[in-house]
Order: sequence, then structure tokens, then C-alpha cells
Amino acid sequence: MFAVACSDSIRRTRDSAVCTGKLLQNPRIKITDVTVVMSRPPPDPLYILRGSGAAVNTLHFCCGRDGPPFLYSGSGKGAIHVWNLTTRRAEHVLESHAGNSVIWLHTFKDSSSSLISQGRDMRVCVWDLSEDRSTVTDSLLTGSVGFSQCSLLESRPGSALLAHPTEHMEEVSVVDMRSWTPVCTLKPDSKLGMLMCMKMWQADSGPVLCAGYEDGSLVLWDVSHRRPFSCLKAHPEPVMCLDVDVCRQKGISGSSEKTLQSWTFDNQQNLQMHDSVQMTNPGVSQLRIRADGKILATAGWDNNIRVFGLKKLKPLAVLQHHTDMVNSVAFSDHQDPPQRLLAAGSKDQRISVWSIYSKS
Amino acid sequence: MGSEVRLQVCSCLRTLSSSRDSGEIVHALRTLTHYLEDDEFTRLHYTRALQVLVSAQSSHWFNRSRDDDEEIKKLWDEMFLRGPPDQTLLLLLDTISSTGESAGLERCVSVLEKFLSAGRLQVLLWSRCEGGGSYADTPQLREIIIGHLAALPSITSNHLHTNTPDAFLPQQYYPLLAASILDTLEKTCHALRAGRDCSLEFVAQVLGKVCIQGYSSQVFEILAPRLSSLTRVDPLWQRVTQRLLENIPERCTECVITGLIRCLSGATAASRLMGNLVVTNKKAQFVLTHKLLLQQYQHPTRLVKSVLGYLALDPERRMLLKQVLRSVCQVWCNSSAVKHTSVEQQLYVSKALLLCVALLTDSEIQELRQEMLQCMLGGVQCRLDSNIVRIRRMGMAVGECLSHKIDTPGSQLKFQYEPDEEIRELKSLMESASVEEDNEEHQPDASSSLQPEPKVEGSAGRSVTSEPGRGSDSELDSDDDLTPYDMSADQEKKESSPPRYVRDCLEALMSSDDADRVELSLQVLDSLLRKNVKATQEVSVQFSKVLLHLEDRFNTPRFHSLRQNAMVALTVTDIKPVVDYWTTEFYSLNYNLRQRLDILEVLALSAQELSEPIRNKHTGAQPITAVAAIERCDDITHWRQIVEKRIQSKTRRISKGGTQPVQAVPNCYAPVAGFFFFPLLRNYDRSQVTFDLLGSDHLVLGRLLHTLGLLMHLAINAPVASQMGRALLDFVWVVRFHTDQMVRRGVMFAVCAVFLSMPSENLLTELGDDLMETRAWLADVAENDCDADCRSLAVQSLILLDKNLKSQLQIPDTET
Repeated sequence: MFAVACSDSIRRTRDSAVCTGKLLQNPRIKITDVTVVMSRPPPDPLYILRGSGAAVNTLHFCCGRDGPPFLYSGSGKGAIHVWNLTTRRAEHVLESHAGNSVIWLHTFKDSSSSLISQGRDMRVCVWDLSEDRSTVTDSLLTGSVGFSQCSLLESRPGSALLAHPTEHMEEVSVVDMRSWTPVCTLKPDSKLGMLMCMKMWQADSGPVLCAGYEDGSLVLWDVSHRRPFSCLKAHPEPVMCLDVDVCRQKGISGSSEKTLQSWTFDNQQNLQMHDSVQMTNPGVSQLRIRADGKILATAGWDNNIRVFGLKKLKPLAVLQHHTDMVNSVAFSDHQDPPQRLLAAGSKDQRISVWSIYSKS
Repeated sequence: MGSEVRLQVCSCLRTLSSSRDSGEIVHALRTLTHYLEDDEFTRLHYTRALQVLVSAQSSHWFNRSRDDDEEIKKLWDEMFLRGPPDQTLLLLLDTISSTGESAGLERCVSVLEKFLSAGRLQVLLWSRCEGGGSYADTPQLREIIIGHLAALPSITSNHLHTNTPDAFLPQQYYPLLAASILDTLEKTCHALRAGRDCSLEFVAQVLGKVCIQGYSSQVFEILAPRLSSLTRVDPLWQRVTQRLLENIPERCTECVITGLIRCLSGATAASRLMGNLVVTNKKAQFVLTHKLLLQQYQHPTRLVKSVLGYLALDPERRMLLKQVLRSVCQVWCNSSAVKHTSVEQQLYVSKALLLCVALLTDSEIQELRQEMLQCMLGGVQCRLDSNIVRIRRMGMAVGECLSHKIDTPGSQLKFQYEPDEEIRELKSLMESASVEEDNEEHQPDASSSLQPEPKVEGSAGRSVTSEPGRGSDSELDSDDDLTPYDMSADQEKKESSPPRYVRDCLEALMSSDDADRVELSLQVLDSLLRKNVKATQEVSVQFSKVLLHLEDRFNTPRFHSLRQNAMVALTVTDIKPVVDYWTTEFYSLNYNLRQRLDILEVLALSAQELSEPIRNKHTGAQPITAVAAIERCDDITHWRQIVEKRIQSKTRRISKGGTQPVQAVPNCYAPVAGFFFFPLLRNYDRSQVTFDLLGSDHLVLGRLLHTLGLLMHLAINAPVASQMGRALLDFVWVVRFHTDQMVRRGVMFAVCAVFLSMPSENLLTELGDDLMETRAWLADVAENDCDADCRSLAVQSLILLDKNLKSQLQIPDTET
């Protein structure tokens, strides 16, 4: 099964490069090409973080600053663990969101002690963790019962925009974090179904938000003008997750089927299909592109973490450790590339931490 | 004048027989050689002279004086080699066969060798050819000459035994004779061109005689290729050859034609050599259109192709081709022929049919469409009824081919089967039908030398074009700097987990619409049943029922073997109730054949597993280690092979003298063998609406007999074996003359098993009066059955019976 998928991708590589698609019809040659190279056994996890007590829903690294590197994890029972990656122990456990599942965590670049969390109690909370405090300083009732995680954009120090789902299933609302004033709401004209996932970033023209919807469409929104730039039907099934490499103007989206789709957008923010790759098993809960834009990792429903090369979506590794579906993956934001880590949180209550393709 | 010669000759001969003076002898010999030119001498006195020479040389004067020796020898040889060859040959052969070992015999043998090497055979043949057969022989003499010519190797080696010179051996003599015949034919051609008459009767008779004595291949290996190439260019040669074949005596026609066609390389050659012989000669017609195609079946396909192609080549002969098609069709769709002829012959007839159809033109097919349709329908039907897979497949393949020819594209027959080598060959016959194909020379060489070349070119071209392709792959835009890890462990994930309890499995199989669940249940069932003996015993019969009725709704991979393994596991875990259930259900209403066959297979496999020797006593309730599960899945061949292997090995041991006694080891089967065996015999004659064992359901009957034989064999050394054997023999007796081959195979197998497993004293008392009848029956089957398996099994059972008899009869001897 794998060999076929693999040879497929290779064939595609050659085809697009040579333009004559019939050159390499004998797949046997390509398979041996590949098998010769792939003798290395997949790596084992660097370490495992146990004790979250419930399914791990979301992960966020915070390693860029002074002090020990931290990993935040949000569990299915409302606990937010703050893992010290030097001691590999949970330094704090925050009880949050009234015991409801935590679905998204993020920190601010400028203030190391603040944490923002989104929970199933329809709230987004901002935490003050400085000096061993653990208090909620702000809280926003989004009213959303959907799946979508929020997205944070820190355009300038001190000012941040937060995109969050609302009580209207297909709608995105963007608020200014400092004043909690709504900036705009983005609602597609046509029926695209529920909002599934989104990512917001700063472009030259202003903030841009990419949102994935239930019917498999992706919409690129111009946040300042509250209108869509472009729309792309990337998947036949709901878009489960997406990530964007802003520098290369390229994004990847995963769905509940086997295909991973990559797409590009130009300066006019027109979305275009680019490439795709087949996985062995269907379903991706989350995917992340590493900051250097070389690889991406997916959290699969089949308990596996998959690593692909970003440029050609070349399958690189299948990391098998978890015994239940993987909910979340995250790459660390270490300043020093060799220290960069990959973490995956699973429904089996464990967090696995990997070091993969970090020395290059 | 005549009397003068006679006087002279008489005096010479007298000198030769009585004189001791070498000078006189030389003189007399000279005089005689002088007369060799004389017609009267050669006609009347030559034989006499030779007789004297032969007897003289054996007596006194030959080896005495050294100086004249050479002269005498030379003259003596000359006498033999220059005279009329027929008389020489007869005399020499007579002498050789009547003289004992002596110097004279040696001289005769050596002069006969010289006779052959000097080309006297040509002279002999030609002498009978020239002048339009005016050579005045009495028929008797002619017959004798022909006989001696054709049988020279036999006559000489009968007498000379191991001292026979190589030149007289068939391998050398017959090619020489063939060359002489060729030479004679060539001379004939020359003579005909010169306007002289020739008669080929004698040559034809010689050829016929040689062939009827079984040396046709040696002769035609020389004759056929040469004639084939000569007739290609020269029409006169064609006439001569055809004339020769016309003159072959009727009783030799068959062997001559068969030998000739066998050595010819194609239909066109046959047509050149034989002309319209088949139309003019009744005997040849019979041989070519009937005997070679419908009665014999040992010939290679090439020969059939040649014969039919020959018939198709000429408009006059095409009538015969149609006639052949009709008769082949008749034979092919004859259901009794399907039952009573061997598979090989049926294959042969099928080949003939297809080749024949392939040669017909569209208009001829339209003309014969009705016959072919009848043939196809009848033939395919009775073949599909057969229990032999090979015959069924053959029927399907031929049916498809015929339908392809006579039906419109929309309504053609199409069967589902796995084509094997045989079927592919059959189908290929339809395609390579062109008569003109005459692969005599050059063609194979040319094709073999040409073919590899483009291949090389192609691969070279491919590699060239793919190189730049790799190169142009943009380095900037690839992930090649990242080496992938081994991803072989990346497998498809199964949705559900396998059930952990027997009852869960049962429930899943009974009610589930979930394909994955059913598959997982089936996969774990075997081990689950064996592990949880108690739980299995609680639901065993219910489970048996479910499994027996289970259908492959989801196209589960390896469904049949998994189901069978589970059924076997059930049977060996809870023997008595489950076996009771199987044996009852076997005869009950409303099962399909497949289910009944399944029951038989499961019983056989379970019995086999139970009969494994008990190795570990402590395992108690589950002493049986599973027989390799994968092997078990290939239908019934598995256990049959095993048993047949056992029979083979035992048979061999008996013939060697039986030094190793079979070691009896306790097993789990012996105590329960009766449960397996007797219920299966209970109801066989009670036919039901849906199941008529002795009637149309003979497939099941054959399988039942096999199974019973196996159950019998596995019960070897068990106390119940005698009763089982008795019952089985009774049963077998009823069906031993069944028309179906499978059933007869089953019968023979069961008989073998009985003879093998039943204690010999019981066997003899049991057989009692029927002993001689049984032996006669077995001998008859061994000799006359059309099925090869039946024959060999019958031979084996005869051997086993004899062994039993011997051991029984020896016991009183040793005691007294």
C-alpha cells in the first residue's frame, strides 16, 4: 500500500518536471529507487509527557524567551498543563473553562506570562501567569459551539487581533484584543456550512484570514475590507485543519479523507490548487508547518503522526507511538534550529515529543 | 547355347566344390565371373553357383594358400556383388540364418555388409522398377524378396545376436533403405523424363512392409524432408510420390500415411506429397478422416493440424473437411463418449474440433451452423455435468471458441474459469489456423534473431530519455534534501477491534451487517474456539448451524478457508454433538451441494486432525495442535494428497518386504471414529426432493466415498476398523459400476483404504465368497477403466489385497 502511494508521489514529481507524463511507466523502477533510500527506521519519541489525565486536545510551545522552555497542553477535562521541558514535568495545572474541554491555547509574543485559551464553555480566557499567579484576567463569550479554533494575530507589539467563531456557525468575528472591540464579522455569502478552522496573518494589504468550511471550501478573507479575496473548493469533505506558510504564500489543508491538499495564493490573494498527497488512512485532526517551511506534520485519526516535505509533499516519516487518535501537533519555537521539537497530543492522554529533521 | 553354358558352369562348380588346387579354383572363379554378364547364367545358374561358393568356402580351400588368397577373395566377392542382387540377398540371408558360428558365416556377414555399402539395394529396387514392372517374378518370390528386404535387421540379429554388425541394425539399415528408395525414385524421374515406363509397385510394397513392421519413423525421417523439398520445385516428383503412395498395399496404408504425416512439417507438404490420395483411396480416406482423428489420440497436435490442413487445401478435399467436422461434432457432443473415454482422448478430439472449425470459411460455417450449434449445446452441457474439473474446463473453452465462430458478437457464450496451460493451448488453436503456415526453413531463425533487437533499442531509448528528465528536476523545488524514514509499518487501520468472546463472534456472524466485524470475527474464530473450550461447548451446535449457513456476503478475503477452519475447530473441540449435527444435516432437506460438500470436507479435516498422535498428555481437553491453517484451505486436494502419499509409501514398503511395522500411537480419533463414519452410511439410498445421492448428485457421492475412505483409513488400528471396513465394502459394492469417473475414483479409493486399514484376517473372512469376484473386478478396472486414476488405484488395491492374502496364508505355515 505504501509503496504505491510513494511511487505515485514520485511519479508526480517526475511528470511535472519532465512534462511528458508517459516517460516512467514502469512503477517497479521507482519503487526500488525509493526503497533503496528508505532504510532508516523511524525514530522513537524523545520523551513522553504523561499525566494530563484526559485526552490532550491542543498544544502550544513557548520556548523563545529566557527561562525554561514551556509546553502548554489543554485537556479534555478543562485542565491546562504547563510543562517545563527541562524537567519534563508539569509545573502548573490550571483548572479552566469550568471543566469543559480546552480546544485552543496560545501565548503572546510580547508578554511572556499571558496565556489565551479557548474552551468548550464557549469562552475565550486570557490568563495572567506571572509570578506563579494563575488568574483569568479577561474572558470573552463567543457563543460558538462549533469545532473551529481561534486564531491570534499580533501585528504590532501591544496590539493583537483575535479571530474567533461565533454563535452563527459559519461566521468569523475578529476582535481587537486590547479593547475587546469587534473589528468585523466575516460571513460567506454562499452556503459553505460550518466554519471548521482558520488562520489569520498580516499581509502587505492588511490582515488576511484563511478559513476552511464544512463543505470543503477555503475562503481567503480581506479582514480590513470584510470581503473575500478568493474561494477554493479544496476537498470533497469538511476541511479539518489548515496551516499557511506566509513567506512562501503556500498553505496545506487536511480533511476527513485520505488526501492532503496544498494550495498557493499570489499577491492578489487568489487561491490555487497546487499539489496533493494520499495518506494510508483517512482523517487529519491538525497539521502544522514548521517555521522554517521545510516540513509539516499531521495529527492523524489513525494514531500516527506523519511528516511530509513541504515543497513536494513528499512523505518522510510515519511516527507510530500513540494508541488512540492524535488530536494535535505543534512545532516548538526554539531560536536555535537543532533544538526544535515536535510535540503531539493524543486522545490516549499522552504527549509525545520528537526531534525530527532538526539538524539541517 | 544354353546347354553349353550349363556344362561349363557345372564343371566349374565341380572344380570349386572338390578341387584343392588354388590355380584351378581361380580359373573356375574367373570363368564364372565372366558369365555374370550372361543372361541365362544369372537367371538359371547363379543361385546354384553362389550356394556352391558359400558351402565351398566353409569347407577346405579357402584359407590355405597365401599367394592366391587375395585373388580368390576378390573373385569371390565379385561373384556376390556383381550378380543379380535379389538372389544374392536371399542366399546370403538364408545362409546366415541357417549356418552356425563359423568362418564361413563371418565371410557371409562381411560380404553382406559390402553388399549393402556397395549400393546393391538400389540396384535391386531399380531392377523391379524399370520397364514398367515387366520383371517376371512369381508372386511368392516377390513376397519373399520384399519380406527379406524389410526384415533384414530382424533376420540377421536373430541369428548373430550381439555380433550383429552396425550396418544391419535398424538405426542404420532403414535409413540406408530409405536412401535407396529415394535413389530409385530419382532414377524413376529420370526414366520418365526420358519417356520410359516405370513401375513403383515393388518400391511401394517394400515401403509398406517396412512401415507395417514398425519402422516408419526411421524411414520417413530420411524420406519425408527430402521428398518435401524435392516436390516443392518439381511437379514430376509430386506425381512420382503420389503414385508411390497410391501403390502402397491397402493393409499398409495406415502406417505409411501416419508415419509420413508425422514426419512432415506442415499441411502444404502433405498436400504436395499425397495429392488427392484421400479422395481416390478409400482406405486412406478412412485413416485420415476417421482413424487418426477419432480413434487414435496419441499423436501430437501438429499431426492433427497437418491432416486437417491437408484436407482444407484442395476444393475436392474440402468436402471431406466438412464431413470430418460433422463426425467430430457428433463425437464431441456424445455424452456417452464423455463418460467412457479418457480425458486425453477428449482433449484430442476437442483439439481436432477446434482446428477443424478454425479452417472453415464463413460461408461454410453458415452452412454447417446447425450442426455446430447442436454439437456445442450438447457437448458443453454434458461436459458441464462432469465431475472432472479438466473436462468441465475443456467443455467451457471449446464452447466459447465455437460460439465465437457461429454466434453474433452480442450473444456469444462466456464462462468464468481459470485458464491453465491446456486451455490456453486449446484457445490458441483457433488463432493459428492459417493453412499456409509452413514453418520449414528460415522462418524461426529469422524471427529469433530479429526479436531481441528492438527490445534492446527500446530500453536504451527509454534510459536515454529518462536521464534528462531526472536532471531537469528542479533542485530548488524539491524535498530531496530530506531523507525519508522507513515507512513500511504504515498500514491501513482497521476500524473495529476483534471480538474477544465466543458469543460475540456468534452474534457478529448471525446478525451483523458490518463487513469489518464479520471479517474480524472469522479471523479470530479459529483460535478463540480452541482456546475457550467450555464456552465453545455451550454453543457448539448453534455455532455449527450458523457457520454452515454462513454466506460470503461481504466478499471477505479468504472467507472459505476461515469458515472451514472455524468449522474444524468446532468439531475437534466438541466432537460428539457437532459431528452428530454434521452427519444428520448431511442427509437432511434443503441444503445446497456446496454445503453438503463442506460438511464432508470438515468431517475429513477434523478426523485428520484428531488422528494426529497425542504428544502432550497434560493438555487434556485440547490435545490437538492446529494443522497448518493456510495449507488446509486449498479444497480437498490437501488431504487427498496426504492420504495418497501414505498409500504410496505403504505400498512401496510392502513390495520391499515390509520391514518397518507401523507404529501404533494413541490418538483422539480412534474412540470416536464410529460417530464420524456410520451416520454417513445411514441414508444414502433414501433419496429426497432436494438430494438424490444415487441419482443426479453423483458429485456428492464421489466426495462421500472419498471421505468415507479417508475416515476408514484414519481409523487404522482402531478396534472399530473391522466393522467400518465391512460396512464400507457393502456400500461400495452397490456403486462400483457407477458411470461417473469421480464416483469410481471414490470407490477405488475407499477400497484401497479398506484393504489398507482393515486387519487382514477380518478382511478375508469378510470378503469370503466375494474374494474372487472382487479380484476379477479390480483386475478389470485396472485394465479397462478409462480414467487413469481409477486404473492406478485399482492396481494399488490389487497389490494390497495380494499382500493381505499372502500374510494370511503364511500364518498357518509358520505355525505348523
